[in-house]
Amino acid sequence: MAIRAVSHDERSAFGLLAGLVAVLMAVTAFPILYSLWISLFAVNLRRPLRMPFVGLDNYIAVLSSPAFWESAGRTALFSAMAVAAVLVIATLVAVLLDQEFPGRRVLSACLLIPWAIPSVANGLMWKWIYDANYGALNGLLLQLGFINSAMIWLGDANRTLPLIANAFIWKEVPLAAILLLVTLKSIPSDLYAAAAVDGAPAFRRFVAITLPALRPGFLLVALYEAMMAIRHFDLFFLLTEGGPGGASDVVAWRIYVETFRNLSFGTGAAMSYILALATLLMSYALIRSMAEKL
Amino acid sequence: MARIRFQSVTKRYANGATAVAGLDLDIADQEFLVLLGPSGCGKSTTLNMIAGLEEISEGVLLFDDQIVNNVPAHKRDVAMVFQSYALYPHMTVFENIAFGLRMRRVGEADLRMRVMQAADKLEITHLLERRPSQLSGGQRQRVALGRAMVREPAVFLMDEPLSNLDASLRISMRAQIRHLHTQMRSTFVYVTHDQAEALTLADRIVVMKDGTIQQIGTPDEIYESPTNVFVASFLGSPTINLLEGALERENGAACFKRGTLTIPLPALQGGARNIVLGLRPEDVGTPGDGPQLHGVVDTAMPSGADQFLGVLVDDAMLFLRVGKDVRVRAGEAISFGLNPERLHVFDRETGRSLRGAA
Repeated sequence: MAIRAVSHDERSAFGLLAGLVAVLMAVTAFPILYSLWISLFAVNLRRPLRMPFVGLDNYIAVLSSPAFWESAGRTALFSAMAVAAVLVIATLVAVLLDQEFPGRRVLSACLLIPWAIPSVANGLMWKWIYDANYGALNGLLLQLGFINSAMIWLGDANRTLPLIANAFIWKEVPLAAILLLVTLKSIPSDLYAAAAVDGAPAFRRFVAITLPALRPGFLLVALYEAMMAIRHFDLFFLLTEGGPGGASDVVAWRIYVETFRNLSFGTGAAMSYILALATLLMSYALIRSMAEKL
Repeated sequence: MARIRFQSVTKRYANGATAVAGLDLDIADQEFLVLLGPSGCGKSTTLNMIAGLEEISEGVLLFDDQIVNNVPAHKRDVAMVFQSYALYPHMTVFENIAFGLRMRRVGEADLRMRVMQAADKLEITHLLERRPSQLSGGQRQRVALGRAMVREPAVFLMDEPLSNLDASLRISMRAQIRHLHTQMRSTFVYVTHDQAEALTLADRIVVMKDGTIQQIGTPDEIYESPTNVFVASFLGSPTINLLEGALERENGAACFKRGTLTIPLPALQGGARNIVLGLRPEDVGTPGDGPQLHGVVDTAMPSGADQFLGVLVDDAMLFLRVGKDVRVRAGEAISFGLNPERLHVFDRETGRSLRGAA
């Protein structure tokens, strides 16, 4: 087999790309592979020089810990709540923005604000809103007479996950609504006219035409939001630090505690890999079902 | 069964544009009415107002003796075939056809029977389990017809249903639609910009332009006695020849004058004025007793059954249809006989026909 000479253009292309590739390797590929590597060792920063190889022991330890499975259950609950609510609210917002009314453009632009706010700013904002002493939520509910005394919102173990999910949903709805709106805009208006002439009132037209047409959009949004929710860390860190009493101790938070508070890098890395693998499997299943239905 | 009446109906859009202005139209029960005109003439808007898809800005629309201005589309007994077919993409052909029946809560057994009957008539029984995306244009068209048919509506509306089909299919579908009309005994309103389609299908044609009616009549009336230049030139292929000239009177008899050309126009009333003379390509014969036309052949275009000649008469180019047996070559002189009865005469200022009836 003859070896083709590398042309001048190709050589300069390699040269130009090499820098970028090197940076990507350093900041992306290296940490990924390095964390896989250390997940196979018993790494503890309190004894940094002693780092015995333990094989899959870290993984076994994580998977056989009841506390980990409790966290996994909370992650699943949080994700299910968040994704379902994002889907419903984003659909309503998209349908609203699909109508013609004065001020639609301004409203569409305003809608994007929560999405544009940095994650930490969003977290701090909700921390203030939920604050027991001077929070806006207590203020509003007290003034409207729904509650008689200020509540310690994030101190209630039963309310913690829904409240954090609420902050997550607030930030995620805009993007989901825009994605669904794009799908809505692509539905030919003739279909609605045909269904109207066929005798379908507005609600039946929505069920018969809008919902099925939105299905690809739903699957896309569900996939993206599920990935975001499963791995979500910022709000748990900012609002509750896993509390009260472990009520918001999700896997992402547990990874942080294990790694940076317990300084046990080996088990932390193993947990990260388990979470990544679980996300990957879920995405794969969703994409498979998407491909079948499209 | 429904008689449809428009009484001074106007449709104005939010941006101020007027799509239809002061429309008066009476469509008889079980009539096949064709709305014909160029794009933007208001024909589709008129159809959509019957369907209830467009609001009426002014005037009254009646089905039989009921005012339906504010009856929403889904409560009118109307079926419609769209130019885009508008088949529901995620439903099977069967469900597409059945949709209107389901909306009207027709029982499952009856529904199944009616869908099968319609599918049988349209020869699409083997397609019932497919999705619209798996069908050809002609098949989609049939499904769209089937969806409207099963409803057995009082009013059957069609918005350019054949314009996305290829030429041969279009011709055979015309016959099917005509056949459908005789079977269904509903009122048909059909929108098209294709004059040949209108002439083939219609009981009556309504020619529209700029939101107003130009002429209403049977295909023969519209073709033979157009009331103005627009109607005359919109129907017929190739289009009618129009010659600008003057109406003059010689010894009391009217005649058309243009340069060296003089054509007597007996039985035409009125004084001298500028006129437009219309001559259909097929309205020429062999030179005889009557008036004659002399010219020079510019081009000869055989077209199967007959041939078209481009003939230079005076300084005007006329397109004429003659038999194949007329053997001429470019540059040769040629003469034709004219039947003055078949000449169309229009006022040049108003465009209106100067013939008696109109």
